[in-house]
Amino acid sequence: MAAEIVSFMLNGRETVVVTNPLETLQSVLRDRLGYMATKSGCSQGGCGSCTVLVNGEPMVSCLLPAKDIEGQEVTTLEGLTKSGAGEIHPIQQAFYDNFAMQCGYCTPGMIMVSKALIDRAQRAGTHPTHDEIAEAISGNVCRCTGYQSIFEAISDASHRISGHEWSGGRDIGGKTK
Amino acid sequence: MTVRTYYTPESMQEALELKARHGFDLHVIAGGTLLMPQINDGLFFPELVMGLRNAGMDKLTLNDAGLSGRGILGATSTMSQMRAQTTYPILQEAAKGIGGWAVQNMATIGGNLFNQPPYGDFAVALLALGAQVKIQSASSERVVDLNEFLTGGRQMAANELVTEIHIPEQVAAGFITQTITGFKKFGPRAASAATIVSVAAQIDLAEDVIENSRIALGGADTTARRSPAAEAVLNNASTQDLESLAAAAARAAADSSEPISNATASAWYRRQMIEVQLKHLLGEMLESAVPAA
Repeated sequence: MAAEIVSFMLNGRETVVVTNPLETLQSVLRDRLGYMATKSGCSQGGCGSCTVLVNGEPMVSCLLPAKDIEGQEVTTLEGLTKSGAGEIHPIQQAFYDNFAMQCGYCTPGMIMVSKALIDRAQRAGTHPTHDEIAEAISGNVCRCTGYQSIFEAISDASHRISGHEWSGGRDIGGKTK
Repeated sequence: MTVRTYYTPESMQEALELKARHGFDLHVIAGGTLLMPQINDGLFFPELVMGLRNAGMDKLTLNDAGLSGRGILGATSTMSQMRAQTTYPILQEAAKGIGGWAVQNMATIGGNLFNQPPYGDFAVALLALGAQVKIQSASSERVVDLNEFLTGGRQMAANELVTEIHIPEQVAAGFITQTITGFKKFGPRAASAATIVSVAAQIDLAEDVIENSRIALGGADTTARRSPAAEAVLNNASTQDLESLAAAAARAAADSSEPISNATASAWYRRQMIEVQLKHLLGEMLESAVPAA
């Protein structure tokens, strides 16, 4: 069994790691690099708790061989906070303010998908609609909160990021420009 | 972890050479959504694995005029790529029902052909389009009908890989006034769930007569397949009484199916649902067909 060397950008930092053949990105992040925000849920691609962004697009890290992301850009929840500044990301703040978590296990995955969704909406000059949020988080399972507070947090976050007032509740969607 | 070597070829040629060298000992993944769960669960211990994610086999050759010219879909095209294309709405619809966003960014259309009910719905939509599979080795290539490939047990030589999926040019004969396609997946919930049944259809209309039809079913057998019984009811039939026509075709499809039974649904329930879902799909498709001017 030959060890593999994989180098990739992790949260903007050049990272080189030695892995076993076919070792997953999830295992590399948690077991080798100590990046524990990425959760290990079902290991089947069914729960979304291990979701990370690869070149800005969500992928489930439990099914992703680390070697496949050689030279690519990976963002985990740790990458959203401003390092050293102790400052959390507006999406995290919105999840906190809207009580969009109970046990918190699904939260990192939810936030990574939210990040990709809000980024996409911003590029189009809109806020994500209720249906777009539903579709975006359909692969992320939360067994505590029910999803309403998560919908609200994502909509709130999208408004905060573009400096807009959010009227709250079910008022979701709208334009940023 | 028992994997001895994980190969990540950077071209199709390299992938085919690796397959030629290692044959059936080399297990092939692309998105990883089919094999990685089994490996993670310790149900499968491959020694040699090849990943095709970076092999450049995900090119799409689509003719945006839509119905003229055949489409060529690279085998490692993802479900997200299928959602983004607009040439084949039926493929957009089928890709939408497969996993969530993250899984759609990974799962490939070639890999989906090797899944089995209660999964493998993308193949159902491909069957309705009359798709063919291109299978290559380092020294040969062949193109086989998808229905024959699936129902024949996916026969491949040790040195072969599925490299492309071809969508034939739609019949452009003068008497065909309209071609309509449709897909429905029915599962325990709307998103990210195993399938109870899936149904897909393509219908070529000449005024109000069905000139040709392809009906495909998922969950109706141990593999996705066409339903010749339903097609026989539809072909050359008039759509004047579309309700009884849809019902008769759906009944024929259900009667001739041998559904699987598992924790998601029993064979009995799947047979009922094939009839219900196909009846609804055909009804909606034929109703929406623009009446010939």
